[in-house]
Amino acid sequence: MKREYSIIGKPTGNVDGAAKTTGEAKYCFDMSLPNQLYGKHLRSPYAHARILSIDTSEAEKLQGVKAIITGKDVPGGKWGLWRRFRELCDQIALADDKVRFIGEPVACVAATTKDIAEQAIELINVEYEPLPGVFDPLEAIKDDAPLVHDDFENNINATRHIEWGNVDEGFAQADYTREDKFTCFPQAVASMEVHNSLASYDKGSKRLTVWSSTQSPYYLQLGLADALKMREGDIRVIKPHVGGGFGGKNSTMPDSTSAALLSMKTGRPVKIVFNREEEFISTEHRTGMHVALKIGLKKDGKIVARECKVITDGGAYTGLGATALYLSGIFQTFPYKIPNYRYDAFRTYTNKVWATSVRGFGATPTVYCAESQLDRAAKDLGIDPLQIRKMNVMEPGYEAPGQYKVDSCGIMPCIEKMEKRIKEKWPKVEENEGIGFSAFAYMSGGIFNWIDTPYAYSGARVQVNIDGTVDLFTQASDIGQGHNTVSVMICAEELGIGMEDIRLHPADTATTPVDLGAWGSRETLMNGNAIKMAAGQIKQKLVDLARAKLGENIAYDLVAKDKRIYLELRPERGFSYYDIVRDAIKLNDGEPLIGTGHYTPHNKGMISPAYGMGIMAIKAKVDKEIGHIEPQGVLIVHDCGQEINPLGARGQVEGSVHMGLGYCLCEDMPNDNGMLLNPSMNDYKIVRQRDMPQIELMDVPTYEAEGPFGAKEAAEATIAPTAPALANAVFAATGAEFDSNVLKPEKVLKAIRAAEAKKAQKK
Amino acid sequence: MKTIVNGFEYFSPKTLEEALKMLSQYDSEEKEFKVIAGGQSLNLMMKQGILMPECLVSIKGLSELDYLNYDAKEGLKIGALTTHRAIETSDEIQKNFKVLVEMEHNVSSTETRNYGTLAGNFCHGDPGGDPAPVLVALNAIIKMASVKGERTVPAEEFTLDYYETVLGHDELLTEIQIPVIPPNTGVYYTKYSQILGDFALASAAVSITLDDKKEKCTDVRIVLGSVGSTAMRAKKAEEILKGKKITDELLVQAGQAASEESDPTDSVEASEEYKRELVGVLVKRVGKEALERAKKA
Repeated sequence: MKREYSIIGKPTGNVDGAAKTTGEAKYCFDMSLPNQLYGKHLRSPYAHARILSIDTSEAEKLQGVKAIITGKDVPGGKWGLWRRFRELCDQIALADDKVRFIGEPVACVAATTKDIAEQAIELINVEYEPLPGVFDPLEAIKDDAPLVHDDFENNINATRHIEWGNVDEGFAQADYTREDKFTCFPQAVASMEVHNSLASYDKGSKRLTVWSSTQSPYYLQLGLADALKMREGDIRVIKPHVGGGFGGKNSTMPDSTSAALLSMKTGRPVKIVFNREEEFISTEHRTGMHVALKIGLKKDGKIVARECKVITDGGAYTGLGATALYLSGIFQTFPYKIPNYRYDAFRTYTNKVWATSVRGFGATPTVYCAESQLDRAAKDLGIDPLQIRKMNVMEPGYEAPGQYKVDSCGIMPCIEKMEKRIKEKWPKVEENEGIGFSAFAYMSGGIFNWIDTPYAYSGARVQVNIDGTVDLFTQASDIGQGHNTVSVMICAEELGIGMEDIRLHPADTATTPVDLGAWGSRETLMNGNAIKMAAGQIKQKLVDLARAKLGENIAYDLVAKDKRIYLELRPERGFSYYDIVRDAIKLNDGEPLIGTGHYTPHNKGMISPAYGMGIMAIKAKVDKEIGHIEPQGVLIVHDCGQEINPLGARGQVEGSVHMGLGYCLCEDMPNDNGMLLNPSMNDYKIVRQRDMPQIELMDVPTYEAEGPFGAKEAAEATIAPTAPALANAVFAATGAEFDSNVLKPEKVLKAIRAAEAKKAQKK
Repeated sequence: MKTIVNGFEYFSPKTLEEALKMLSQYDSEEKEFKVIAGGQSLNLMMKQGILMPECLVSIKGLSELDYLNYDAKEGLKIGALTTHRAIETSDEIQKNFKVLVEMEHNVSSTETRNYGTLAGNFCHGDPGGDPAPVLVALNAIIKMASVKGERTVPAEEFTLDYYETVLGHDELLTEIQIPVIPPNTGVYYTKYSQILGDFALASAAVSITLDDKKEKCTDVRIVLGSVGSTAMRAKKAEEILKGKKITDELLVQAGQAASEESDPTDSVEASEEYKRELVGVLVKRVGKEALERAKKA
C-alpha cells in the first residue's frame, strides 16, 4: 500500500523556531520569580578528602545571606537513575562525610544577590583531611587502591558480561586474527545552556515546583522525591525550552536539589545557575575507557568471532554510566552479524566527576575502536573497506541470541548506494588524501527499565475542542532536537488537520502524561506512538460518526486528511473536519473529545524496539609536516525508516557529525590528579562552524512496523561513525594507526612517522 | 572558582582629553583601573577573576580614535578604536597591506572581530595574539598619549613580557602607524591552530625585501608568535637569508634556526618539542610565500 502523507516526510521548520530565533522563547536561564534568592555552591578543592567540620557562622553574618545548607541538611537518602538497583543509587545532594572529586558541592548559600552568595561561600570554613585519590581505572582496580565508596571493592561499580555463540571455536576457525588496544578519552557535554534550576516551595500546601534545564522532567521528579523524601506527586517539574542536553541532563543535579532545599528552608524561590567552569568540573561527561579488541576473520573477510574487554573510567558516581557500559558491548557489534561474540567489562569509580550518557552513548567509543580495527584487518587481507562491510552486515530479521532483534534493516542498500555515489563524488584522491568509512546503527529508545518506572514508557493526551483546535499534552522533552515539531506533525497527520490547529503543552509533570524523557533517540518512536494512539482514538470517533452520517457500508474506508473526513474511494463524499468535531462534541454530552495514548515496547529483546543505521564516508587531507587533519567532506547514507521531518533530521545529523569531529580531533579533558586542566570554552577545544566540512546526506527509506508512520531513530547514530571514518581516512592516506581518539597534530605526526618507519622496515 | 564580575565603577569619557585627564587622576590616586575598548580579552580575564579592577574607563565613546587613514607616502594610520573587522573589510588595506587582512581573518570569530580592536589586542600583550608578529614584521610605530604629551615606540619594543608592555598606567595607545611597504618586498603571516581562528600553537610573520634585480635578499624580518613571552624576532634565521639568493634549502635552514631560537613551553595542546618543529615548518612555508610576493611586488 502506498503511503502518502500531508505532513509527515515534508521538510518542516521548527514550531518554536521563530520564538527561539527572535529571543522570545523562555529558557529556565531567562526565568525569575518575585522575591527570588540566588544560590551558590561551595565546592571541594580536593579530589578525595574527609570532611572534618564545616563552619558557616561567618557566612551567615553577611548581610543578604538568607540560608546556608550543608550535607547534614539533606533530609533524603541517596538517589540515582539505576533505581532498580538501589546500591547503584549513589548520588547525594551535598557531600556528607567525604568529597570524592574536585568541584563536588559541600555547601550552598541562598542570598539576595549573586554577588553576596558568591562572597558568602568564601566565608565558609571547611576543614578537610585529604585522602589519597585514584584517577585512572587501571589503578583503581588494584588491591591497594584507595576506595572511592567503601562498599565497592576494588572500586568496581558495575560489571557486564555479554556472550553468544562459541567464541573459542570461532577463533579456531579464523584464518586471520588481530588484537588491538585502544584508549578512548572522555568528552565534555558543553551544552549551550548550563545546568540551572528555579525552585519554589509553598509552605502551606507543602508542594514544590521546579523549573529546570533537564532532559527528563520525570527523572528529575523521581530524583527530587528521593533526595527530599517527598512524594513524587507533591513535586511539580516544568521543563521550559532547553538549550541542549546531549545526555548530560538526565541526572538530578545539585542545581535543582540545592535550589529546592534552600527554597524549603527560606520559603522563597531560589535560582541556581552553574557557570561555565562549574559546568566543566562538576557535571557529567562521556566516559573514558580502555578497550582491548580481538577479531577473527576468514580469508574472504567474513567475521567469525570477536572478543572485547572494556574498563571504563566512571568517576565518583553512577549516573547512566552503567548503561553506557552495557551499550558499549552491544553497539560495537552493529550492524554486523558476528556469530561468536564475548564482551567483558567493568566500570570503575575514580576521584573525578562522573561519566554518564552522552550523545550516541555506548556506541561512540567502542564503534571507534571496532571500525578502526576492521579497516586494518581489511587492509591486511587485501579487501576493500566497503566490500568487507558488505560481507558482514545484518539483514532484516537478524537476531543476536538473547540480546536483540533487528526488524527493518536497510544497511545493505545503504552501502550499495554509497558505493555508487562515492565513485561519482570522489572519483580519485590526491596525494596525502584518503577516504575512510564507518558503518553505524543506534537504538530508537531503550527497553531496559533501570529507572523502574511502573508507568508506560511514554504517554500522551489529545483534546479536541469545539472549534476543532487541539490541545496536545505530553511530557516528552524537546531539548533542542526538534521533538516539539515532530509531536505536532504526528498529531496533525493522524487527525488530518494542520499543524496550526494544534497547541502543544509539553513537559510539565503536573499536567502531562509521563514520558521518560529525551535520551537514546527514544522520543520519535516511543512518544510518537503514544501521540498517534491518542489522536487515533479521536480520529476513530470522527470517522465512525462520518460513516454513520453518510449511511455507508461498514466495509468502506474513510480517511481524515486535509481537514476533511471522507470516503477514500470517493473523496467528494465527506465532511469538513470542523463540522464533524462539532457534531461529535454535541453527541458527547458537550464534553471535548479526549484521546489517551501510551507506548511500552514488548517482545523486542533487551535493547530497543528498532534500529536506525547506515554508512558514512569522510574524505580527509593530511598535512604530513604539521600533523593536521582536514576533513574535506562527509557522505552519509542512512536508513531511519520513514523520516518524519527531514529538515530536523538533517540538522541533527550535522550536529552529530560536529560533535563526532570534536571527539575525533580535539575535545579532550586532561586532568592532573583529578583537576581538570581546561575548564573553559577558551581551553576546551570545540570544532567551530568554519571547520565544518560539507555534509551530503542520502536516505534509504524503509518502513519500521514498530514506529509511528514507519519511523525509527534518526541522526544520533551518526556521531559514532564520524571519528572512525575520519581516522580511517587518515589511515588510508598515510597508513597511520591510532590507538586513541583526540587526534591532535602532535599525535598525528607521531603516528605518521611510526607508519613510515614500519613501511621502511618492511622494505 | 570565582567567575562572576565583581562590582566595579564604570566611566565613559567622551573625548581623548577627558579620558587622559581621568587616567592621570586615577593614576595619582593609585586607583586600580583598566582601560576597556572592545573588551574581548579583558572581559574574559575579569570573568575568570584574573583581573578585578576597581573601575573601568571605557574609551568606546572616543569616536575621534575610530579611523583608518591611508596615504601613499605616509602609510597607514589606525586609530585605537578601529575594530578587527573594520581592518579585515577595508579595500584600501586589502590593496596595500594584504597581510593585515589575512591576519585578521583568522583572529577568533567574526563576533569577536566586530567588537575587538586591533590596538586593544596589541595592548593586551598576550604572546599568542595575532597582531604583534605582523606589526613587528611591518615595522609599525606605536603612538601613545598622556596628559604629559605624546610619544612613539617601534612595535618591536612595545611588548616587554607576558601581558606586559611599555604603556604607562596613565597612557593610552592612540594610534598604530604602518609605513608603506618598501618596493620589492613581500610580507606574509600564518598561524597554526587545530581549530580555525583559535589561539596559535605557533605563528610566523616574514617580510622579505629583494634587490632591484629581485635576486638577492637585502632585508628580512622573521617574527615568531606564541613561542615566547612576546612576539620575537628570529635573528639567526634572518642572518641565514640576508644577502643571499633565497632557495628552498636556505628556507629550511632558516626554519631550523628559528626553531632553535624559539622559546615555547609545554601546554595541554602540544609539547615544547612539537611547537619547535612547527616553527621550523611555518618559517619555511611563510618565507616561501613572502619570497613569491616580493618577486611579484
